[in-house]
Amino acid sequence: MSAVNGASPPLAGETHVGLAHGNGGRFMRELIEEVFVAVLANPRLDAGADAVPIPIPPDGDVLVTTDGFTVQPLEFPGGTIGSLAVHGTVNDLAVAGATPRYLTLNAFIEEGLEIGCLRRIVASLGQAASASRVDVVAGDTKVVRRGEGSGLYLATTGVGIRPRSVRVALDRIEPGDAILVSGPIGDHGTAVMLAREQFGLSGNLQSDAASVLPLTLAIRDLPGLHFMRDPTRGGLATVCHEIVRGTGCAVDLDQTALPIRDPVRTVCEMLGFDPLFLACEGRVVAVVEPAQAETVLERWRALPEGAASARIGRVRPGRAAVTIRTELGGERVLEELEDDPLPRIC
Amino acid sequence: MDRQATMAQGTVPVERDEPTECRRWRLTGRVQAVGFRPFVYRLARRHGLAGSVRNLGGEVVVLAAGSRAVLDRFGRELIECAPPLARPAVRECRRVPELPGQGFIILESGRAAQAQVHVPPDYFACDECVRELHDPGDRRYRYPFINCTQCGPRYTLIERLPYDRPNTTMAGFDLCPRCRREYEDPGDRRFHAQPVACPDCGPHLSFVQGGDAPVRETAAALAACIDALRSGCVAAVKGVGGYHLMCDARSEAAVARLRAYKPRPHKPLAVMYPWEEDLASLRTAVMLEQAHERLLRDPMRPVVLVPRREGAPLAGAIAPGLGEIGVLLPYSPLHHLLLEDFGGPLVATSGNVSGEPVLTDASEASVRLARVAQVFLHHDRPIRRPADDAVFRIIAGRPRPLRLGRGCAPLELELPWELRRPLLAVGGQMKDTVALAWDRRVVVSPHIGDLDAPRSLVVFEQVAADLQALYGVRAEAIACDAHPGYAATRWARRSGLAVRSVFHHHAHAAVLAGEYPQVDRWLVFTWDGVGYGEDGSLWGGEALVGGPGRWWRVASLRPFRLPGGDRAGREPWRSAAALCWEAGIPWKPPVDGVALLHAAWRRGVNAPPTSAVGRLFDAAASLTGVLHTASFEGQGPMYLEAMAEGPGRAIELPERCDEAGVQRADWAPLLAMLAHDARPAAARAADLHASLAALVCTQATRARDEYGVRDVGLAGGVFQNRLLAESCVAGLEARGFRVYLPERLPANDGGLCFGQAVEVAAEGAG
Repeated sequence: MSAVNGASPPLAGETHVGLAHGNGGRFMRELIEEVFVAVLANPRLDAGADAVPIPIPPDGDVLVTTDGFTVQPLEFPGGTIGSLAVHGTVNDLAVAGATPRYLTLNAFIEEGLEIGCLRRIVASLGQAASASRVDVVAGDTKVVRRGEGSGLYLATTGVGIRPRSVRVALDRIEPGDAILVSGPIGDHGTAVMLAREQFGLSGNLQSDAASVLPLTLAIRDLPGLHFMRDPTRGGLATVCHEIVRGTGCAVDLDQTALPIRDPVRTVCEMLGFDPLFLACEGRVVAVVEPAQAETVLERWRALPEGAASARIGRVRPGRAAVTIRTELGGERVLEELEDDPLPRIC
Repeated sequence: MDRQATMAQGTVPVERDEPTECRRWRLTGRVQAVGFRPFVYRLARRHGLAGSVRNLGGEVVVLAAGSRAVLDRFGRELIECAPPLARPAVRECRRVPELPGQGFIILESGRAAQAQVHVPPDYFACDECVRELHDPGDRRYRYPFINCTQCGPRYTLIERLPYDRPNTTMAGFDLCPRCRREYEDPGDRRFHAQPVACPDCGPHLSFVQGGDAPVRETAAALAACIDALRSGCVAAVKGVGGYHLMCDARSEAAVARLRAYKPRPHKPLAVMYPWEEDLASLRTAVMLEQAHERLLRDPMRPVVLVPRREGAPLAGAIAPGLGEIGVLLPYSPLHHLLLEDFGGPLVATSGNVSGEPVLTDASEASVRLARVAQVFLHHDRPIRRPADDAVFRIIAGRPRPLRLGRGCAPLELELPWELRRPLLAVGGQMKDTVALAWDRRVVVSPHIGDLDAPRSLVVFEQVAADLQALYGVRAEAIACDAHPGYAATRWARRSGLAVRSVFHHHAHAAVLAGEYPQVDRWLVFTWDGVGYGEDGSLWGGEALVGGPGRWWRVASLRPFRLPGGDRAGREPWRSAAALCWEAGIPWKPPVDGVALLHAAWRRGVNAPPTSAVGRLFDAAASLTGVLHTASFEGQGPMYLEAMAEGPGRAIELPERCDEAGVQRADWAPLLAMLAHDARPAAARAADLHASLAALVCTQATRARDEYGVRDVGLAGGVFQNRLLAESCVAGLEARGFRVYLPERLPANDGGLCFGQAVEVAAEGAG
């Protein structure tokens, strides 16, 4: 049996999580203290308390969001389920115009998970939290029987503060608005798929999982900024459908303007996937009045995570549908994602 | 009183002892917009009858008084002597008490609640009008919009019924006094010809080149367009149902330009030939048989696929890789003039972005065709809705539509059973058409396009709405394909109406059942690209026994999984990979990077299972080295058909019964033959056709033994392949089967809407 990295006394000899780590006794306390609190420690985190107070500044609105994470595999090029659990929730707050402040964390651990793996995941969670300047202020762990989970599920709830001057919402979108994206699309979806299927060919493909807070902070003061969203599950196409549903307008995208990395393009072409429907975990889609579109791009391009940002389409009065203009000058309707897209071409 | 007065004048020879009576006919069928009322008028005058004729709803009501004998004869001649485009049927004839006034008159059109409307398609330019077009003494000499009650546009310009000028797109052109006289004179052949026009009052041409000032005079515009065509330009020319892209069909450079900018790298282009009595110049390019000629000269003037001559004086890029070219003759006066003045064949392909409906509007055409067309020839008669040219191919001795369009659609058919409620059948995804069906009637729209383009969807919705408005029938239910991702299926589900989904191949089979209702129990081979099947897999090589509402699958192919899903539809090498991987034999990939694809395929990532013969053909095209990547649907199979040489040696495909009781033919023995590079590809292509035709015969013979079926149908896009279809017909007939192919509707997805309506009607029949 190989030694567990950093084998500290209370967990010594244990290499995998057992049911005893969830029974409320000493094992559980040790697991929480050794694996979680040691990494996530901050002044507000009190492992012994049932609830913690958080101060609310008087000059903003409190925003709350919650999200669950079930990604497979748990570790993938560019991130882990831990960093994703922070970025997913932080990003939901950021695109709502808020500054994320606090997180709570729930971990559902499957019996048999390697403790070393859990440590790595929590470490990446901790790094992501401190990089995003959020504190994990409360948490809980449960251990489920072998076969009743896929290693680890996480759930996070986020609290953020939004200045009253910031107003971004679907109903602020106007016909004529420009649609911008902060960087290349499809990276996360492609990287995770390749890692999950163990093709052994992930190569230079990395998830884009990251906090989008610098991107949203850079532009949220612009009065012409009408809406922001992070294109996660369902990808950019699904965000466009949300815009169509929310406004009753048409959305036109320009295929040639879409930032897509070559490896992503190559993999998608080979496997028959459309990058427009693949998840991103570190991008922002912004809907802006056309006069401020360039300003947004300038500010984004001044940041490393916005270097490849681009204006990709517009909102237009007309038939409520998402249309993409192809490289050859044709037009294609982008239908909403289905469970299991099947070939339609005869 | 009237009668006495008439008798006194002696104009009506009524014997004192022969009783006079009054009769009323209600005539249905195609009786409007075909010169039927003027015909009735002239007929009645000739017989000296008093009375009236009137459009009422979709019917024509004739009231006539005279002697019994004369009325009998008049009644017969109403049907027998009707004008060529009319298809009248007597719905009712009875004695009525009221006597009409003196003389015979045409009354204003009336509306009726229960319409039996018939919307006519757009007709060719009739001989008489073409004669006037060429008569320097005629006031319509060289006028491109000449027409009469027997010819000219209909479907594309009707705004609403009844078919009267104010209800057409000609409403904006006020008749000049001379045209008005013709229009109002019941003795004139332009009496109530709704689109009647002349150079003084009708539509005109205009010519636009780049940023130059438009040429607005008709003769000058036409001349400028001819000059441009002669200098090798691509012209967008507005016709009857939309724009054509035209260029010199003998110029490699012009055709290359059109192909590069449309863009349409390989798909065959239709060629229009000048009208000549003997079709001499057409004969230099193609081997015209009587059946082709009859079809080419038919009033619907379709595009007809005809075998091309060796060394035909045409650009090689017209139909690369194919043995046939699509040709057509001028159908509108404008086309007559263009072709005559140009003096040679012109490419006449749809002015559109590939897969979309043909463009009809000048401003839209100017934008969307800006890259490909260097010049534009517009006219100012608006086109209410598009109608592409119809396309036919002669297969197994009969003309078969590959595409419904101008001249033959809206297509009216009868259902074998009555529908419970009016139905809109929305067809498939590619090459879509829609059908409105009620009672036992079905009306099928012209070709619309592939529904993944937004413009196709707009036209789709317009046609669906227009059919209901024109026929005065509101659909209460929608039939659609079972494929959840088809745009029309999604549209149906959003409509709020009751939706009945029909499996793709059931609809293909039901087309035959609708066309040949005398057959009770069918065996139909539904072979095509891919369609959503009952088990959720992609069918396309199925043999179905039964009839509408009761099909069951008895035979199919060994399934294989398509790597990359939808992409396989345009990349035949993927189908080749699928077969080789499935069979576990080595495969030489013609592209880089397939290791990843193979890994994904093994794990079932985006690799849906199928049994489609269309994909088997694709695989064969790639394995023989003929084509690895297609630029249009069916390219690989078409090349294989064109290149096949010799009778072909059939390879037996072993069959095995699967757990559901379906006989699965194994294609694996074909692979070694197809990949055998030492033999000419032409021979391998012939073997493939022979093997598949033999499979059809084997499967049919077994179905006869097991289920007693004697009537065999061939449906689905694969049977547009003449070589395969005719081999199957020959083999089956030699074994004593009666064999049927669709004849009124396309075998491809353009016929699905009709099949859907038949399926729904069968449900009601119990």
